[in-house]
Amino acid sequence: MREYLDTLENESVFIIREAYNKTKNLAVLWSMGKDSTVMLHLVRKAFLGNCPLPLVHIDTTYKIPEMITWRDRFVKEHNLRLIVGKNEAALAAGMNPTLGRLTCCGALKTQALLDTVSANKIQGLLVGIRRDEEGSRGKERVVSPRPDSGAWTYKEQPAEIWHHYNLHVPESVHLRVHPLLHWTEMDVWEYIRRENLDIMPLYFAQNGKRYRSLGCHPCTGTIESVASNVDEIIEELRSTRTTERAGRAQDKVDTYAMQKLRSGGYM
Amino acid sequence: MPCKSSAAGVTCNVNGDQEVKKVAVVGHVDHGKSTLLGRLLLDSGRVPDDKIEHVTKICADKSLQFEPAFLFDALEEEQEQGISIDTTRVNFEFDGHKLVLIDAPGHLEFLKNMTSGVSEATVGILVVDCHQGVQSQTERHLKILSVLGIETVVVALNKIDQVDYAQEVFEEVSAKVRQTVMQLQLTCEDVVPISALLGENITTPSDKMQWYTGKPLVPRVIEVLQSGGKSNYAQQPLRMLLQDVYRFNGQRHFVGRIESGILRAGDEIFFSPSGKISTVEAIERLPQRNASEALPGDSIALRLSEQIFVERGEVISLPDNVPVVDTEFRARIAWLSKQRFSPDLDYTIKLGTNESTCKIRFFDEQEHDKWSATCENLDNGEFADVVIRLSKQMAFDRTKLGCSTERFVICTTYETVAAGTVDNRPVRAHKEMKATPNLRREGGFVQRALYEERIGHRGTVLWLTGLSGAGKSTLARAIESRLFERGCNVVVLDGDNLRMGLCADLGFSPEERSENIRRISHSAKLFLERGFIVITACISPYSRDRELAREVVGADDLQEVFVFCPMEECQRRDPKGLYSKASAGQVRAVTGVDSPYQPPQKPALRLDSSKLTVEQEVAAVLDLLAVNGVLPPQNTARDTVARSSPDAAVKSGQSAR
Repeated sequence: MREYLDTLENESVFIIREAYNKTKNLAVLWSMGKDSTVMLHLVRKAFLGNCPLPLVHIDTTYKIPEMITWRDRFVKEHNLRLIVGKNEAALAAGMNPTLGRLTCCGALKTQALLDTVSANKIQGLLVGIRRDEEGSRGKERVVSPRPDSGAWTYKEQPAEIWHHYNLHVPESVHLRVHPLLHWTEMDVWEYIRRENLDIMPLYFAQNGKRYRSLGCHPCTGTIESVASNVDEIIEELRSTRTTERAGRAQDKVDTYAMQKLRSGGYM
Repeated sequence: MPCKSSAAGVTCNVNGDQEVKKVAVVGHVDHGKSTLLGRLLLDSGRVPDDKIEHVTKICADKSLQFEPAFLFDALEEEQEQGISIDTTRVNFEFDGHKLVLIDAPGHLEFLKNMTSGVSEATVGILVVDCHQGVQSQTERHLKILSVLGIETVVVALNKIDQVDYAQEVFEEVSAKVRQTVMQLQLTCEDVVPISALLGENITTPSDKMQWYTGKPLVPRVIEVLQSGGKSNYAQQPLRMLLQDVYRFNGQRHFVGRIESGILRAGDEIFFSPSGKISTVEAIERLPQRNASEALPGDSIALRLSEQIFVERGEVISLPDNVPVVDTEFRARIAWLSKQRFSPDLDYTIKLGTNESTCKIRFFDEQEHDKWSATCENLDNGEFADVVIRLSKQMAFDRTKLGCSTERFVICTTYETVAAGTVDNRPVRAHKEMKATPNLRREGGFVQRALYEERIGHRGTVLWLTGLSGAGKSTLARAIESRLFERGCNVVVLDGDNLRMGLCADLGFSPEERSENIRRISHSAKLFLERGFIVITACISPYSRDRELAREVVGADDLQEVFVFCPMEECQRRDPKGLYSKASAGQVRAVTGVDSPYQPPQKPALRLDSSKLTVEQEVAAVLDLLAVNGVLPPQNTARDTVARSSPDAAVKSGQSAR
């Protein structure tokens, strides 16, 4: 009998292979977090242990410093090709979260991402979002076409029937491909355990606190936790009464903050 | 690999049936789909506190009661208007079963969203308001399920609390709903009375409805999912979609997904529509580089023993059960675009991993059924029975088993405008006898027995089968000339010759080969009826086609003669230069090279032409005719060469019986 995690893995690998066949310059959007690291692992599975795709990291320069150290070590160790995207103009003009969290996300993440996509002529971007993360992601398609502006037209999404994804788009449109859309937070951790993946240590509790979701240091909080390894995180998740992104300040700016960010092209 | 260790890690501890089952929740606007899902989600106790607080606050701001649907209908516009715009999936666990419930928007405007969501499901829950009964979207959603191949439905008769849990109302409405479901050729497994708002009879029996003796909704749905025969893809014929061919370190990997059946290392596999053939050397699925078998749903890579050139779009099967390859098929489609259908446009069809341009034609059905729209009104949310004409050959199935080789979408340049499933009826209906009142078989012609009496021998069909170059035509000529010398009525139907006339329009796809055999069978039958000894000489590689010939001619009148010759010898002879052209890549679908030959299991006669002379073969055939009483006994006395032939070279099926 096949395991549940195999079913998830099979679907993701199928999606990655479809995207690779149908798009020019497919890239992996990698935040170094648990989801995109699982996605990278699935990319390697899809290509029989190889990684023919470049990684894209959007660096806001506000990332938790350990993340960057870990990133550079990981890239070197696994011999990966990394493209780092930054909104240099906004940074030079002094963009920071005190100017408004959503404004900051829009400039340093969304705009930096769109610039990186167009500068590198990326037509397809694998993004590790999941439906169960938050409400607006719950409404996503596996393949989501984004015109130049990056806009997500959530009211008029294309039909996506069976495995026939909308991978054929005009040149001015890039595709967000979501191979982990059907996974849950618990699935991700169970898969990390089964595959014994190398994961950013910030997820593991130190001094009674850990990160459940990773982002920029001014806007990302820790949770109280004693879970210091993958097994303990899984145990903790079984009984948790809070949402995964409870520590992400930008989500809380207003009721529909993520919908607003994401309709503008946020990941 | 980004792993700490390359070995497989700790196994996730899961018990029981861990296959995730996807259930579509459909029905008319406001009949309670989202309320039902919200109720299930809340009752599962898995909704985080801060999520409930979040929804409580939104509802308070809008001066609403707590609205469970807002747990997943999270878009501002959805909460403003109290509608679902797009589908959501709710993960739900019950009694050790993992379910994904897919909530479908009820408004016609969002039909393509509804279709996108529910296309993944295997069973539907149809929510019907017991006040209102069947409404326009109730019926439309059922039709969508049918087009998507989801044929099993459990009806949840909702808002039963509002009629005081009255059994009479339940009986009356459920009878009507059942009838609607059945009229649309779907299976209604059950009708369950519920109150989604109050949580009555959803996961546990309701004490407000003592009269209801069936199971509550969720346990009943799980029961249906478990008995669902269609989802058992492992027992169906092998179908694998070829997604891509990768080359890493000089090695080619053929990647794709198993849709149905089981593939094992060492299997000989057949590619459609190209007709190529190869053998699976290894099944690759990380971390195991060499899995012994692959099951439906598995995304795998294959290494092949024989290097062949194939591309994305092929369907991989076993040689004994191949998909249909043709340039047209019948189908039922659902139109999902605000852009109307146009008969003049070229559309793109995506089927499996293959694509082709196509034209869509309406099927001219005399009996009008409630399914078909007309050309003029095929618009968003309408259905039609059509013929799809492809601009190239494609492989598909019409078995109605719910496999992805039967399902397709129709697109304009950038938009998916329709979804459909291949109909199990062939396009060219004249191939099967049509029960039409204006056609009847004329009788009163001279009887076969009278012809046979006058000629002095019986009629029969000698069906020669074997590879190209095995010696079928040579043998046919020799038999013909020997029988002619004896004054017999004899005719040879030679495969190659017929392909220059009667069958000139046919190629070498499995389907065209079948049609070729069908025409030869009927021709043979005409001669047989006039007392002829008919010798057919055509490769006839598929056993099911030869079975069809036996049906047309009649089992007693067809003698299957297997003209055997080893492949190497056929290639050495190569009378038509076919094998050398095949190896140069100039011709395709050559039997035994890249198209399969299925040897007969029980031929009446098996002749090894690499060991026997033509004389010996003819003698063996005449013996067979004598034994079967086709030729009068005295005619065979002189032909005794066969008795001295090597035992291994002639095998008579007759003597073995």
